[in-house]
Amino acid sequence: MLNRRDALRGLALTVGGTAIGWAARAAAAPALAWTPVALTSGQARLVDVVAELIIPATDTPGARQAGVPQFIDRALADYLDKAQSDRLRAGLERMDADARAAQGDIFVALTPQQQVELLTGYEREASTMGSGAPGESHFFPMLQDLVTVGYFTSEPGATLALRYDPIPGAYDGCVPLAQLGRGWATR
Amino acid sequence: MPPSGGRGPIRRVEWGVNMANLNGRTRLENTYDAIVVGSGITGGWAAKELTQKGLKTLVLERGPMVRHLEDYPTATTDPWQAKYPQGQLPPEELNAHYAVQKRTGYTLTEHTQHFFVRDDQNPYTEESRYDWIRGYHVGGRSLTWGRQSYRHSPIDFEANAREGIGVDWPIRYEDLAPWYDYVERFIGVSGQNEGLAQLPDGQYQPPMAMNCVEKAFKAKSEARFPERRITMGRTAHLTEPTEEQLSLGRTKCQYRNLCIRGCPFGAYFSSNSASLVAADRTGNLVIRPGSIVTSLIYDEKAGRASGVRILDAETRQEEEFYADVVFLCASAFNSAWILMNSTSSRFPNGFGNASDQLGRNVMDHHLGVGASGEAPEFADTYYSGRRPNGIYVPRFRNLGDAATQRSDYLRGFGYQGGASRSGWDRDLTKPGATPAPRGFGAERKAALSQPGPWVIGLGGFGEILPYADNRITLNHEVRDQFGLPTLSMNVTIRENEIAMRRDMQTAAAEMLEAAGFKNVQGRDSGYAPGLGIHEMGTARMGRDPKTSVLNAHNQVHECKNVYVTDGAAMTSASCVNPSLTYMALTARAADHAVQARKRGEL
Repeated sequence: MLNRRDALRGLALTVGGTAIGWAARAAAAPALAWTPVALTSGQARLVDVVAELIIPATDTPGARQAGVPQFIDRALADYLDKAQSDRLRAGLERMDADARAAQGDIFVALTPQQQVELLTGYEREASTMGSGAPGESHFFPMLQDLVTVGYFTSEPGATLALRYDPIPGAYDGCVPLAQLGRGWATR
Repeated sequence: MPPSGGRGPIRRVEWGVNMANLNGRTRLENTYDAIVVGSGITGGWAAKELTQKGLKTLVLERGPMVRHLEDYPTATTDPWQAKYPQGQLPPEELNAHYAVQKRTGYTLTEHTQHFFVRDDQNPYTEESRYDWIRGYHVGGRSLTWGRQSYRHSPIDFEANAREGIGVDWPIRYEDLAPWYDYVERFIGVSGQNEGLAQLPDGQYQPPMAMNCVEKAFKAKSEARFPERRITMGRTAHLTEPTEEQLSLGRTKCQYRNLCIRGCPFGAYFSSNSASLVAADRTGNLVIRPGSIVTSLIYDEKAGRASGVRILDAETRQEEEFYADVVFLCASAFNSAWILMNSTSSRFPNGFGNASDQLGRNVMDHHLGVGASGEAPEFADTYYSGRRPNGIYVPRFRNLGDAATQRSDYLRGFGYQGGASRSGWDRDLTKPGATPAPRGFGAERKAALSQPGPWVIGLGGFGEILPYADNRITLNHEVRDQFGLPTLSMNVTIRENEIAMRRDMQTAAAEMLEAAGFKNVQGRDSGYAPGLGIHEMGTARMGRDPKTSVLNAHNQVHECKNVYVTDGAAMTSASCVNPSLTYMALTARAADHAVQARKRGEL
């Protein structure tokens, strides 16, 4: 299912054709509704798109609606250590560089299919790098972990994609899964 | 956490003392019937018993006040209110301030950091690695404890004498049994009586429930290994509160499993929710936070302790307090520290240390070894509620009969464990592991929104023998922020424990395999002394003043009006969680102190 943003981008590509420059196409992405603290606005738009690719809106909200890009911005500002921050920022730069090399444009300007191809490549690459020293590990699993944690600990993620009960009041040790439908947000 | 920092003002001495007039205070104004050093699980009990028996009691706590309910700032925060991802503190903060406290891997988060010490402010020296996990505040570790509550058994009290290890306990199970009853009734323990000699029954509220997988495990494993009983964990949570517990403002467990943040329902036992509340209601209690006891004052003429010296953590002023009886309940290592730091011409090598046993015989429970398996046939079942408890397998080795006798080690171990389904975080990158491709998009999102595989695990808690050269010593070279000497640790596990660990791993895997679980894997992820957070033994009880520090009533052999009732008193470790025993020893000792004082013996 295309969201509004993909539809807009599709429209821009159709109208503008190949003649349109990357700056103009990036401008077609909607402005962020929040102000990043640690990310540049370009990086924030990239994180916004990647987060939604990793956890898209379905019958429940996706990463964007759950505030995951802001979560990642906060993590960069006051959680990740320097090595981790450097790795993440370098990874974001690399995504745009790879996008330009492959498709002649920055990552957010690519089609969803082109974007998924790049991400799939990063996953494959990370899984063949071995565990290595922490400083040498791949940026993409870290980004994927941040999106996953940010999403499932968000209020929409915990209460809509999962189930959350702040005060269960009792323990029932044998409940048919069908009766609950989803996993618990906390244990 | 600086003792003067944190939540809310320190509650000052309310009774008879003008804080503005430190130097003009009379001795009388600083005199109480009893002084209790420490407000954790034993200090709270000493305070309750002594005040209820009519003694004006001063509790000295080195850290700040923590009021029940008011000072549990994170008790009801939701996951999305966390400042950091999953509440984990930033690596740089952990490394700078919590280099030791972080070693458990599970206790220290943004939700709990106010209940743990900052290691950079509370240094000690590791001659060998020792994980000293501490909380300096009113309530101490009674706020963050694991709450598992088991009695030592008759064989635990007899083992040292029978095997010629360490020294004999000066008491037997029968001496402590009525005090176990008394403590269990007050704190509230839920559990199942099993009629086992090696794990005596108690006064229990209804047990928590096992889930489907645990029930299946119990049925199948017990069919194969009947001597390895599987029971519900006995835990200090209310499931059917008594009138007394309700009257203290406590109510039953709500199955939130956020206990370590402090319970807004008072459902688990802590000093803050129960014993200090009961003590306060007598009108005989004064708590003085921010009071670092530096030594006992010994009156050479009277041949007794006249009180304690403190350093005020805020003003850095020294002050003295006096009493007929002093209870050291500062935790095993800190009570030993006070004794070691209390030197005089009478006690040049530490208070009551003619035996040279002070600081020796450090024990803990060794853990981090066991097995796990999966239960795919239960994929259609789940549970609701977050049970703050697991299943328990009481010790089944070396019970005194031929059938359970091991030739490779002495004593035994119990297992704590449980079954649950993994959650949405199951495919996060594991530290040190190669990340497998996980995919992304709607399909992965849908999969992670469902519970993951059922996993069942058993983790051993093993007895560590008392070794005289497993010791802590006073280190005058390394000083803390107050200029006080610190501790050096030199503690290791030996052949007996290592042999036991092999069995702990093998036997756990056997049980899971007997129950038909899949992908059963034994594991020993290693253990560093201290990681059980059950430090014990540094001022052991015994029959002979030449070989022990304390007598059968927890009195210092050489100075009868000083009692030590925390983990320091333990003569052997058993394999069960020790807090219940500390509480029973404390209540028993307090009763003795009150009677002895009446008789004029102190």
